[in-house]
Amino acid sequence: MHYITDFASGFMNLFQTGAKTFIGWMSSIVPVVLLLLVLMNTIIAFLGEERMEKIAKASSRNVLTRYMLLPFLAAFMLGNPMSFTLGRFMPEFYKPSYYAAMAQFNHTSNGVFPHINPGELFIWMGIAQGVQKLGLNTMDLAMRYLLVGLVMNFIGGWVTDLTTAFVCKSSGVTLSKKVALSSKSAETEQA
Amino acid sequence: MSWHSIRIVKGSGGYGGPLTITPTEQKHKFIYVTGGERPSIVDKIERLTGMKAVDGFKTAIPDEETALAIIDCGGTLRCGIYPKKGILTVNVLPTGKSGPLQQFIHPEIYVSAVGDKQITLTDETAAEPIAEEVTAEKPKYETGKSITTQTQHKSIIAKIGVGAGKVVATFNQAAKDSVQTVINTIIPFMAFVALLIGIIQGSGIGNIFAKLMSPLAGNVIGLCVIGFVCSLPFLSPLLGPGAVIGQVVGTLIGVEIGKGNIPPQYALPALFAINTQNGCDFIPVGLGLEEADAKTVEVGVPSVLYSRFINGVPRVIVAWLASFGLYAK
Repeated sequence: MHYITDFASGFMNLFQTGAKTFIGWMSSIVPVVLLLLVLMNTIIAFLGEERMEKIAKASSRNVLTRYMLLPFLAAFMLGNPMSFTLGRFMPEFYKPSYYAAMAQFNHTSNGVFPHINPGELFIWMGIAQGVQKLGLNTMDLAMRYLLVGLVMNFIGGWVTDLTTAFVCKSSGVTLSKKVALSSKSAETEQA
Repeated sequence: MSWHSIRIVKGSGGYGGPLTITPTEQKHKFIYVTGGERPSIVDKIERLTGMKAVDGFKTAIPDEETALAIIDCGGTLRCGIYPKKGILTVNVLPTGKSGPLQQFIHPEIYVSAVGDKQITLTDETAAEPIAEEVTAEKPKYETGKSITTQTQHKSIIAKIGVGAGKVVATFNQAAKDSVQTVINTIIPFMAFVALLIGIIQGSGIGNIFAKLMSPLAGNVIGLCVIGFVCSLPFLSPLLGPGAVIGQVVGTLIGVEIGKGNIPPQYALPALFAINTQNGCDFIPVGLGLEEADAKTVEVGVPSVLYSRFINGVPRVIVAWLASFGLYAK
């Protein structure tokens, strides 16, 4: 009998420990993220997507703006997954590289700005909650996450230019490096 | 070439449907975007309907030629993207309305938890979606708007009123969207992770795991190993879906940091190590959002996988260097 009760209370303990963690998050993380989401969604609604598209067109020419400035802004303004749509202003050759940089910006900025990728928040939050438990300020970690991301995601985009060139060469495909100024329909006709 | 209609119902625990798929002269191809292998339902649909299957990881087809999209999404992005484009979507996993694009997921366009048994031949043909033409009858006042937003000559007071109303309405809509996001994506994942933490800490597994994880996540070489494994080009698309694996491993490392088994400055390189596979499952869909050509998708998938592999370990090392002085006493 003794063993059975021990087992039962041990079993329930799993859920009580989990529940304590859960309600801790509900009262700390959820309200902050929610209010931040409200403000960010409002700002984005006021600024509008058209302005972002103008920036995107201007950014596609230069390697620094293409893989650093634009993906950073796109993540902030449009979040995951809509930020990828700005890649349509890139020449075909650079689209994979923009994708590579963009996907990472949707994570590395997520510590400071959780509205970017709330669906995958726990990549950041899973680790940050441990730091929080020690009573340390997670913003220190979030800032460094963002800054290291800024540099390394840019390099990631750049390296993808090289791997794209390599894959093109080995498979005998050529992709245009020029901005297609024509509309979408013209592009699909070419394909 | 003769085509046949099929009927797809939801499997156990699934959502949506039933869908009737009728191949036509224009739409006689379907795409499958699944991390790794080809699901058996792809073969079955090919056999029954006579349509051609296209691997979304290898090549792309224009949306207007796509009769059907088959995905294996755990509820983050893909499950909403094809419904958003108006493409009938079949999910192999039992995912319901979820993710940031969940407002586009409806039973008329989406069905989940589909296996071979859920697909049958049918005689009925799918009704062509009729575009609803709104006849342009213009009444003096539109019913959808209040009178103040419609009068031509606005007084200053009305302008201020309308302006303030717009600001309030924008905030209010933003709040509604945000609450939906929190309820539909953040809280469910929190519940899952909290249960996981409960099981890890409440049972003995935590101690075993600590012995296993601390030497790996508690030093730069171990973290490089994690990053290296996650970025292997044949493994990374499998680790990607929903970022679930990264999020779980992250939580496990977080628990160990919280217990003091791993020093907190390793949090920074760990963030990079657990996510070297970032987006590898999503490449064809992401390139689709960028409106890339089929050729670009063919080149882009291996290209991004290679670049992730080349970058993975250096990212961890740079993050480790940048972690010096973080949380130093």
